[in-house]
Amino acid sequence: MQETLDKIKKEFIKGLDEVKEVLQLEELEQKFFSRKSGEMTEAMKSLKKLSGDAKAEFGKLANEVKKELEDLYGKKKNELEKNKMGDLADSESIDVTQPNLPKKENGSLHPETLVLREMEEVSRNMGFIVEDGPELDSDYFSFEALNIPDSHPARDSQDTFYIKGHPNWCMRPHVSNMQVRMIQKYGTPLRVAYPGRTFRNEATDASHDHTFYQFEALVIDKDINVGNLIGIIKELLSGLYKKDVEVRLRPGYFPFVEPGFEMDMKCLICEGQGCGACGHSGWVETLGCGLVHPKVLEAAGLDPKEWSGLAFGMGLTRLAMQKYRIEDIRHLQSGDLRFLKQF
Amino acid sequence: MLLSYNWIKNYVDLPDSLTPEELGLKLTMSTVEVEGVEKQGKDLENIVVGIVKKVEKHPDADKLQLCRVYDGTEDWQVVCGGSNVVKNMKVALGRIGAKVKWHGEGDLIELTKAKIRGVESFGMICASSEIGLGDMFPLEGEKEILDLSSIEAKAGTTIAKALELDDVVYDIDNKSMTHRPDLWGHYGMSREVAALYNKKLVSYNPPAIKPGKEFKIKVDIKDTKLCPRYMAVAIDGIKVEPSPDWLQKKLLAVGLNPINNIVDITNYILFDLGQPMHAFDAAHLKGKKNKEKGVNILARRAEVGEKFVTLDEKEHDLTNEDLVIATEEKAVALAGVMGGLNSEIKNDTTTIVFESANFDALNTRRTATRLGIRTDSSSRFEKSLDANNCELALKRAVELTLELCPNAKVVSSVADESNFSLNQGPIELSLEFINKKIGVELEKKQVVKILESLGFDVKDKKDILFVTVPTWRATKDISIAEDLVEEVARIYGYGNIETVLPTFSITPPERNELKTLENKIKDILSLEFGFNEVYNYSFISPKWIEIAGLDEDSLIELDNPVAKDRPYLRRSLWPNMLENVEKNLHEFDSVKIFEVGQVFDKNNPGVRAADNSDELLPRQDLMLGLAFASKGVGKPFYEVSSAISGILDNFNCDYELKAKSEMEGEFIHPGRTAEVIVNGEVVGAVGEIHPVTLYKIGIDERTAVVEISLNKLIEQVAEKNNYKKLSVYPAVERDVAFLVDKKVTNTEISEKLKNVDELVKGIELFDVYDPSADAQGKIPEGKKSMAYHITYRSDEKTLESKEIDKIHEKLTKVLVDDFDVEIR
Repeated sequence: MQETLDKIKKEFIKGLDEVKEVLQLEELEQKFFSRKSGEMTEAMKSLKKLSGDAKAEFGKLANEVKKELEDLYGKKKNELEKNKMGDLADSESIDVTQPNLPKKENGSLHPETLVLREMEEVSRNMGFIVEDGPELDSDYFSFEALNIPDSHPARDSQDTFYIKGHPNWCMRPHVSNMQVRMIQKYGTPLRVAYPGRTFRNEATDASHDHTFYQFEALVIDKDINVGNLIGIIKELLSGLYKKDVEVRLRPGYFPFVEPGFEMDMKCLICEGQGCGACGHSGWVETLGCGLVHPKVLEAAGLDPKEWSGLAFGMGLTRLAMQKYRIEDIRHLQSGDLRFLKQF
Repeated sequence: MLLSYNWIKNYVDLPDSLTPEELGLKLTMSTVEVEGVEKQGKDLENIVVGIVKKVEKHPDADKLQLCRVYDGTEDWQVVCGGSNVVKNMKVALGRIGAKVKWHGEGDLIELTKAKIRGVESFGMICASSEIGLGDMFPLEGEKEILDLSSIEAKAGTTIAKALELDDVVYDIDNKSMTHRPDLWGHYGMSREVAALYNKKLVSYNPPAIKPGKEFKIKVDIKDTKLCPRYMAVAIDGIKVEPSPDWLQKKLLAVGLNPINNIVDITNYILFDLGQPMHAFDAAHLKGKKNKEKGVNILARRAEVGEKFVTLDEKEHDLTNEDLVIATEEKAVALAGVMGGLNSEIKNDTTTIVFESANFDALNTRRTATRLGIRTDSSSRFEKSLDANNCELALKRAVELTLELCPNAKVVSSVADESNFSLNQGPIELSLEFINKKIGVELEKKQVVKILESLGFDVKDKKDILFVTVPTWRATKDISIAEDLVEEVARIYGYGNIETVLPTFSITPPERNELKTLENKIKDILSLEFGFNEVYNYSFISPKWIEIAGLDEDSLIELDNPVAKDRPYLRRSLWPNMLENVEKNLHEFDSVKIFEVGQVFDKNNPGVRAADNSDELLPRQDLMLGLAFASKGVGKPFYEVSSAISGILDNFNCDYELKAKSEMEGEFIHPGRTAEVIVNGEVVGAVGEIHPVTLYKIGIDERTAVVEISLNKLIEQVAEKNNYKKLSVYPAVERDVAFLVDKKVTNTEISEKLKNVDELVKGIELFDVYDPSADAQGKIPEGKKSMAYHITYRSDEKTLESKEIDKIHEKLTKVLVDDFDVEIR
């Protein structure tokens, strides 16, 4: 038995040495390990004829030899496989700079959508509800409830689009039409932001369009003061520009706030030193704001002695143009894919 | 409005250390927006008074002269083309280095030594327009140089000094003072400056007018609402001539051209007190009926269709809404807007009537706007002027007239018809209120001092301040305590207010599901399906009524469209999107776009129009629109329908596309259109555009569009949450392919097969053979070939082959029985 095993081992190793490719290896495997007539298989089978100690002794030995041969076989196989793949770098090389064909066209979001989303995210993080409302609204919500009397120039048809057959309907000239609507919908205290599309009846050129987007936010609470106004806006702008900003207030007139302000932000490009972007003043006119006028609170059914508020609004379209350095506002609503695909 | 620094200094004693720039910034930060600060004469360096010593002909040019010009130190040879240059003339000599505008046009150019037609020239003898003095010295001839012989300055004096061009002019943004009628003149602005710098304001105190008796003025105001006050006085002995230098300089500084002494006086008052005035030639006010010396002045509404020629020689058709100033015979002025040509001051005018009146703000603006004549006068009246100012203005105008025309004499009494009242308060104000609103701790005396400096009268009674509003702030500007908060805060200085974040609850904000849906859909379309987002105007062109067969009455129309070609509000997104497709197909082979925007539905009600009314606005849904066209794609329908499926698969909802051959209008392909039905509700439609419509628009490729109301969709979809436990038993897939009538739909078949047996767990169409593309003609007319993967699985055991065979057979039979298919 011992001899048989030694012989098998010797022959197997010899055979293995001669193997040059996988096919030969498989033949070798058949020769020794084939279930029906493999030499090793036969040797294992013959163990059955033995008995007692001999069976135990040779059984152990046979298993050791089998294991050893199998290991050698595995090693050889790995080696052969590896050799076979040796020239992959050459045989299967591809041009890695080539795109997948046919090319999949990417889609795009409108630049104003991108800016709008940033504003929405910052507002939401600061606890503001974000909402939009009717673009065609009554002169009640667009003007009257906002303390803008009949005599105000904004109500002229030179400035505002009106609807034929409905003299009290207009295309909202600002998103401020949402102020009273939002207070009525959500009650107090309230933090709400309402970006949206607005309309002004004016001729278009590279920097003016009759359709544009505004962002406005409203806070209604008890004891809101001017210091709060500056604080909240500063936070929001810092969130938007992802760095601390410096702001300054100066007088501004909007009928629905009192007091009313214009807010300038220290130019982020020159940091206040003065450059082309800020007209060499170091400051960029950024938004209009103020404490909510008591008449607006009354229109929304609130007692101005109990409640107070602040509001601020800015041009989203202008923000998008600044951010992406878009030179002509008319690109925005042109539907021109040469423009849109860049975003 | 332009504001002169020197003019302000007439009324406020400002410290020498204060720079004009500092004042400009202070005004911006506390009162009005200063858009520019311009120093007079800043571009006049190296331009000096020169004396022409000698004039000779240029040897090689007929129209040029060779001059020797003395600049106070030496003589220079200068070539000059001026037609009026003569020996001993004082001229403006531009030396080498001076900046001039050639012929008064273009940018400033620096002078260098030059050879002109072979002769060297050391500088230039300037025309007024070449050195920015065209307003001050209007050109009379084309080649005329500036003649300074009348001024006293010696040769070598800089022009700026010689002409006393030492003012600084501020450009104020008019929009920043629409609510401040008191700031439209230098005196009002000086009051602000005095308050800002804690200085005394010089009082404005012209002497009372000494009335005369020779001339009778009767004023009759027919409409006291439109004309709350009218004052007039007549002056005789007028000699119309140019104004003195000081007056001309003031007007020039604020951008006005001097005309003659009388007109200049009214303009001066306009910019001094902000009170528009008018001067009539009395000779032209008298009608034939009026025998005695005098005039009856009427302030009446114009007749409908009444014609009137204004000073600028333009004729206007008036309406009953316009107020005119008239004699009994004729209108002589468009009240508050512009005087009439028929009564203007001429060089031979000897008797004048000054008007100093107050007109209704809104009416003045409406007349000015409708007739297209915005004047310095109308733009002031429309801010609601203080009627008390009429008197001050008239007194000052008379004072100036008597000063400028030594022989002049007031010949009438002062007519004054008035009917106005102002609400001056007092407004009750507590210190606590002010401090609470601003967020500071001011002392009472500080508050009182600020208010008093601005002309408010303050009475302190038991911790409540009773604040009386000065007349010039009482017309509309200040009426409540909040208005006073602003006054105190801005003079105190906004920069001194500390920034404080309020304390808020940490409750997260309510989510706006519609916004969330909109954002998600935009992401899916742009990121997964490669659509590009467009924004289009909300307005559409009437051509769509014809092209698409839309009902004109279903569209909302603008009363005043910005462009005549887009008067309607969009009811759908696709018309403008199809225009996008048409334009972009010139640049791209494939156009894949989407838009989300509001549309306006005339026939369905939306939200309430106002609190006190039951009226409802038109419904304004947020719509999602898609459009797709690509060269060589014959059935673009599937590109957009798969995008819609791609969207809806993200939510918990049942949806289907149901063929629909008829829709409003004629623009839709009748065989390739479907309603999008979600949970049984129609939320929109998907379809191809009718080939005839495409032809009319000029689109050569088949085009598909989608329109879905997000407001309707949001009612149906819920966040996706339909995970099913993984089965432990394997699924088996079998295919079935068959020929079937072309009309039978995928939905019909799928719905049927789904219910054949509970072991049927999935049905997926994987191939449709288009009969029109069947070159070999293997598929009979009117049929199509379809192939499905059917998935079988039990949740209880591993299915055996035989069991599956049995169900699959059942399924095949259903196909044959119900749809008359021919299994392949």
